[in-house]
Amino acid sequence: MPWLTVAVVVPLIAAALCAALPARASRLPHVVALGATAVSAIALVATVVRFDTAEGMQLVEQARWIPSIDVAWRLGVDGMALVLALLTVVLSAAAIGYGVGPRPMTRAAAGLLLLLEGSTLAFFLAEDFILFYVAFDVSLVAMYFLIALWGEERRRYAALKFFLYTLIGSLPILLGIIALFLSSDPQTFDMTRLATEHPVAGGGLGATLVFLAFFVGFAIKIPIVPFHTWLPAAHVEAPTAGSVLLAGVLLKMGTYGLVRVNLQMLPDAFATYALPIALLGLVSVLYGALVALAQTDLKRMIAYTSVNHMGYVVIAVAAAAASGISSRARELAVDGAVLQMVAHGLVTATLFFLAGFIKDRAKTRDLGKLGGLLRPMPVYGSLVALTFFASLGLPGLAQFPAELLIFLGTFDVYPAIAAVAVLGIVITAALFLLALQRAFMGTTPKGLRKLADLGARELVAVVPLVGLFVALGLYPRLALDLIRSVSWLAGGG
Amino acid sequence: MPNGGTLEQAKSIEEMMLRELAWLWPIGALTLGAIVAVLLTMVLPRHRQGLIGAWAAGAHVTAAVLAVAVWLDRGVRAIMEQTVIVDGLSLTMTALIGISGALCIALARPALAGTEREGEFYAMLTFASLSAVMLVMAADAALLGLAIGALGLSTFVMTGYLRRSTRSNEASIKYYIFGTVSGAFMLYGLSWWFGLAGTTNLRLIGEQLQSAPQGYVIASTALVIFGLGYKAALVPFHFWTPDAYDGAPVSVAAYMSVLPKLAGLAALARVLTLALPEDTAGWATAIAVLAALTMTVGNVAALAQRNVVRLLAYSSIAQSGYLLMGVAAINGSDQGLAALVYYAMAYAAMNLGAFAVVAAVQRERRSVDIDAFKGLGRTHPWWTVVLVLSFLSLLGLPPLAGFVGKLELFKASIDAGQSWLAVVAVVNTVISLYYYLRVISPAVLDAPAEAEPGVPRTWVVRPTPIAVVLGLTAVATVAFGLAAEPLLRLAEKATMLSG
Repeated sequence: MPWLTVAVVVPLIAAALCAALPARASRLPHVVALGATAVSAIALVATVVRFDTAEGMQLVEQARWIPSIDVAWRLGVDGMALVLALLTVVLSAAAIGYGVGPRPMTRAAAGLLLLLEGSTLAFFLAEDFILFYVAFDVSLVAMYFLIALWGEERRRYAALKFFLYTLIGSLPILLGIIALFLSSDPQTFDMTRLATEHPVAGGGLGATLVFLAFFVGFAIKIPIVPFHTWLPAAHVEAPTAGSVLLAGVLLKMGTYGLVRVNLQMLPDAFATYALPIALLGLVSVLYGALVALAQTDLKRMIAYTSVNHMGYVVIAVAAAAASGISSRARELAVDGAVLQMVAHGLVTATLFFLAGFIKDRAKTRDLGKLGGLLRPMPVYGSLVALTFFASLGLPGLAQFPAELLIFLGTFDVYPAIAAVAVLGIVITAALFLLALQRAFMGTTPKGLRKLADLGARELVAVVPLVGLFVALGLYPRLALDLIRSVSWLAGGG
Repeated sequence: MPNGGTLEQAKSIEEMMLRELAWLWPIGALTLGAIVAVLLTMVLPRHRQGLIGAWAAGAHVTAAVLAVAVWLDRGVRAIMEQTVIVDGLSLTMTALIGISGALCIALARPALAGTEREGEFYAMLTFASLSAVMLVMAADAALLGLAIGALGLSTFVMTGYLRRSTRSNEASIKYYIFGTVSGAFMLYGLSWWFGLAGTTNLRLIGEQLQSAPQGYVIASTALVIFGLGYKAALVPFHFWTPDAYDGAPVSVAAYMSVLPKLAGLAALARVLTLALPEDTAGWATAIAVLAALTMTVGNVAALAQRNVVRLLAYSSIAQSGYLLMGVAAINGSDQGLAALVYYAMAYAAMNLGAFAVVAAVQRERRSVDIDAFKGLGRTHPWWTVVLVLSFLSLLGLPPLAGFVGKLELFKASIDAGQSWLAVVAVVNTVISLYYYLRVISPAVLDAPAEAEPGVPRTWVVRPTPIAVVLGLTAVATVAFGLAAEPLLRLAEKATMLSG
């Protein structure tokens, strides 16, 4: 059974099916969407069972697609692709379960969520560069419509900005892909081959341009300061499930690309520019934390902490690029970076859910107007507290081992940068504690005293995510055993 | 064969030409189609003139089928004393012209039904397609001039079809004057070539021009590019485009944005490679600069448009710029021509789809302003699906036809050492996002205008001819992207005979 193909194709087929459903069966789109996601999840679990952690790229499924330009349907997994695909399917299930727009979910909403799920899975599993690019852009279109159709007041503006920025990022990636294709011999879009053969070697002008084309594209997606300005708008205006997938999955596409393409395919050029990129990552860490500190809107605050958390990933990847091929620091840094992607995905997705819940009830997310929420909503309050602690990197929760590995890896290469980056953790700790204090402690304003605590639908969406990040925090080897960058980092299969 | 051969030679040439008529089947089908259409116009009563449309569409499809048949049965060949080249490029373009022409007739029929001179319109359209086919097959300066002239004349009549509309008249006059002047310039340039080379055969001209004085070659080539560039709506020869498209019936705008343009570009590719082999006079760079200018001006001007026909007019100028990347790369990369041919097919599908939606909207809402597209998703889901698909494909988003087209063009450009042009095209693609979304977004996101709250959502598309065009173009736009293989193979085989 081609499990990876099943995982990718079933949501896409279900998306098409949603368009064809009769209008009368109002609950059917939701059921179809959940069913398709369950199939994807089963297919990925089957992949985990067959996965060999000692191997690199494996379980490759190939089919002819456009052979005259060597475009093929190539899917495969290594540690990084596998955990990110799992993350995608978990968060998609949560988002679809929670729903977007009017309830019961419309055909369009279910179809777009499925399209987004299928395309992001295809992106992480793709081993063909054109498929990779196609998936990147299709996910962009799906997210555009999700924001523009069901977002908040300024959704049009935010959706357009998101589309524009990501397209600006994706087109240089296309040029980079073509450049890699033309310089490989025989010409190929096979990512496994490009990662082992390094057709654009060295750090000359050509390699630099190709490297920069990819870097700019992924930097916008991650986002790295100064390419981040689309992020607060998109996150704040997106519907809750949209923000969840945007922060939880779509940002990871950037860091995934940074590792998969820049680090694996262009190691020489990356080594040349590792220091400036690590510094950009450091700027993201500090700037994201400081700006988040200044926010009063809960969603905006979380959005900026994403800039901060993804900054650690960038630093780690840059440190890995600067260190030699087989150094221990390199593996630590990359393991940490991938774990951070997963941990941040789970934690931030939960945060966006929680921010959405309070907006639904109190009609505001302004920290200044909220207060004493712990009293009327004890379950909600404790979940928020737990997730805030996870996000600030408290030991025992998922982001702690990730950030620890990142710092361990980075100290070897850039001790100064690592030392300054720790400041970011201090600032985020302060801002989360401050937010907790403002919104949950103290006296409850009159209007908020009668707020209902979380309902079943909401708990179903967040509790599994919370469970996962607690589990990862207590036993990080759950993910680290799968990730094992040592087996795939050098490329090949 | 110059003058003064013997009688025997003349006879053998005559015999040869008779045998070579088999290669002219597609041209014959269109000629017959046009002439019979004219005759039918005189015979049939007004309410039966729609039959002429069916006849003309049939002639177009037959021409397309015959083009395939000739290729498979007879192969490629330069015929009629090397004046007409029947090769992969011209046969592919002939088939494309035949199919797109038939689609345009289907698009025109509902709007024209029952109007004055409906039959003449179809006859003129068939004449225009005939000239377009001649244009892509021409390997002789005289035939080239003739084809350009005939194409200009017949499209001029089509543009002015709405005789009582002053805008249509203005459009037609503008188009005519611009067309005549550029045609004259081109003939002048061709006469220089004749003077420099002593022959009208483009391949022989190519041999002679290599030793001709550079200054003359550059000047005359510029004049020839002027004439063909006008047909393809290249900047700076594009000024007529928005007015002509906007004044003409929407179906004519659709026709003009696809057939004369693609024929002009294919002819440009052929003329430049035949008459200026080995990049004489550095034309590859000149064309690349022209491509950059064309896409930039088209895209930037499109940003300000609220009238969707004008917006598509500027968009089609920008698309000419992308297509021109293929022409510019012909010399430096063996993928240039294939990229051009592939993008031409993709462009025909997606642009006709876009115009079909506009025609449908204009028919129902009597307006082509952006506001007329509000709430289209609620009232007409299928139109909206086609609109979104064709516009996103024009933008170049995967996995649609336009994406594979751009991929091929970018590859050809970079391969030909014109990476800067690929970068310009990327920047342009980003610019174009704004105006393509400007139409998509009211259609998908807005509620319908207040006038028709009661209009129920309908999945049935009427009138039938437009539904056919919408369906075919949408399927092609998706299939050319997802299942690009056969088309890419075809594009690879669509090569030029070098005389």
